[in-house]
Amino acid sequence: MWLVLCSSSDRPGLWVYEGLRQLGLDPLELVLAESLAHGSTWEHRVNSTATHLKITLPDGRILCSSRIRGAINRLLVPAPGIAQLAAPCDTEYAQAELQAFYLSWLYGLPGTVINRPTALGLCGAWHHASEWIIRAARAGLPAPYYRQSAHDAEDRGYRSLAPDAAATHNLIAFRGKIFGAQLPEHTARACTKLAQDSGTELLGLELFAGEDGEWTFANATPMPDLAVGGTPLLEHLAQTLREGAPS
Amino acid sequence: MILVCGIPSETPLHMVTSALEELGAPFVIFNQRQFADCDVWYEIRDHEIRGELRIGQHTYRLQDFTAVYSRMMDDRALPELADEPPDSALRKFCRAFHDTLLRWTELTPALMINRSAPMASNSSKPFQSQLIREHGFLIPEILVTSEPDKVRAFRSAHGRVIYKSISAVRSIVQELSDEDEDRLERIRWCPTQFQSFVQGTNLRVHTVGDEVFPTAVRSDATDYRYASRQSGEPAELREVVLSQSLADQCLALSRALGLEFAGIDLKITPDDEIYCFEVNPCPAFSYYESNTGQRISAAVARRLASSHLRQRNTMSA
Repeated sequence: MWLVLCSSSDRPGLWVYEGLRQLGLDPLELVLAESLAHGSTWEHRVNSTATHLKITLPDGRILCSSRIRGAINRLLVPAPGIAQLAAPCDTEYAQAELQAFYLSWLYGLPGTVINRPTALGLCGAWHHASEWIIRAARAGLPAPYYRQSAHDAEDRGYRSLAPDAAATHNLIAFRGKIFGAQLPEHTARACTKLAQDSGTELLGLELFAGEDGEWTFANATPMPDLAVGGTPLLEHLAQTLREGAPS
Repeated sequence: MILVCGIPSETPLHMVTSALEELGAPFVIFNQRQFADCDVWYEIRDHEIRGELRIGQHTYRLQDFTAVYSRMMDDRALPELADEPPDSALRKFCRAFHDTLLRWTELTPALMINRSAPMASNSSKPFQSQLIREHGFLIPEILVTSEPDKVRAFRSAHGRVIYKSISAVRSIVQELSDEDEDRLERIRWCPTQFQSFVQGTNLRVHTVGDEVFPTAVRSDATDYRYASRQSGEPAELREVVLSQSLADQCLALSRALGLEFAGIDLKITPDDEIYCFEVNPCPAFSYYESNTGQRISAAVARRLASSHLRQRNTMSA
């Protein structure tokens, strides 16, 4: 069985589930974050030789690691169900516990997991803009000037770096290929290298045309709008999941 | 120049600054509690990272720092903010200051003990256990579950079972007992971590660069950090010598996790099997140093200063 893990409000996640289903990927289970949070029972084992997971969902479906062949993972955070029930003084602790638990069981999923979680994010690494700029430059992608000070708003580091008037283009880099844009070869190479070097198999990128006409880095996310990649991306995802290439 | 960040009176930080003084290595301290009298900025232009840190009347170029030792507490909990409303300008400045400094420490080519990204593996213990396993250590049997019957079966299978937090939030490790039976139903609300108890000798191995500082801990307590409370007797700590292969394995694990300085918790069983429980990326080493005389702080200082020397040699070359 393959899983699509996302929240009920994650349109790209629901789109990819429907698209993979239409492409005949079977059995394919849609697992919503909300159903994981409300009434599921859990059994997650880790020992010196193996990792095991068994989730019984509120609707009776059983997800067992012995039957899972892979997953599209778009879980951002655990849905707040359980943590909201905690006493106010324990809410933060409950959230930390759930986040830690999700990181472990998602990491231990067998087969091809796109994206496998990292310590910096459940569906792939979330980096600050400053970190992405350095990584983009190392991969050969031009990056804009960046300045941060103690007088800036904290969320500034997670916004697009494209100038207000600039036309931007969104694309997806996945396993050495670009989806959603026609790029010069050297730019495409830099984008796929950035995804590879940052350990994020499926990476959404936002680029803008710099003053010299070069495609320039503006933003990156491990949880992009997959519809940008259209049918070619869906077909590549389905093929990758079927082949079971390690992730 | 070495930058030390945290609260100067905190014991591990104080030990490191004392060791830096002994070495004669130049350093400057950013005291978190005086953040209001500090400022910081950095910029990235054409791959170059530059910036300034002002501490009181003195301004330092960030690019002149060759090494950083950071043991900062959660800035939101600083006593200086206790009476500040949630949206106060001082709170916002404090958060933005720490965020800017943290971001720079993630990017700087200076030697950093430790960068925060690699430290994040410790945010989930069963996740970190899977990473540890990939580096050849045995790990204890772990069960995270919301089903009381699974816990009962786990306890039947393993005899002694402990429970502790899954996350990095510190908890006192406790042994599951018959008295806990009444509370076991509560785990239905939140999956909880249980672990088979491993018999043997506790071993804390601090790794600093290429150096190891192994400390054996003898205690009857489930969590030897709280030995006096749990068993009525304080834990006994003594310096030991590791086999070269185990020392290399510990160093390789720290390196693989991206940690310049780590505290690795091991247990050696009566059958000489080696279990690894956790890698602490911000070890409070002072407890071990104070009890054994092992000069861990001096090794940290040497590591920080070696980066200074290396950069100076490179520049003169």
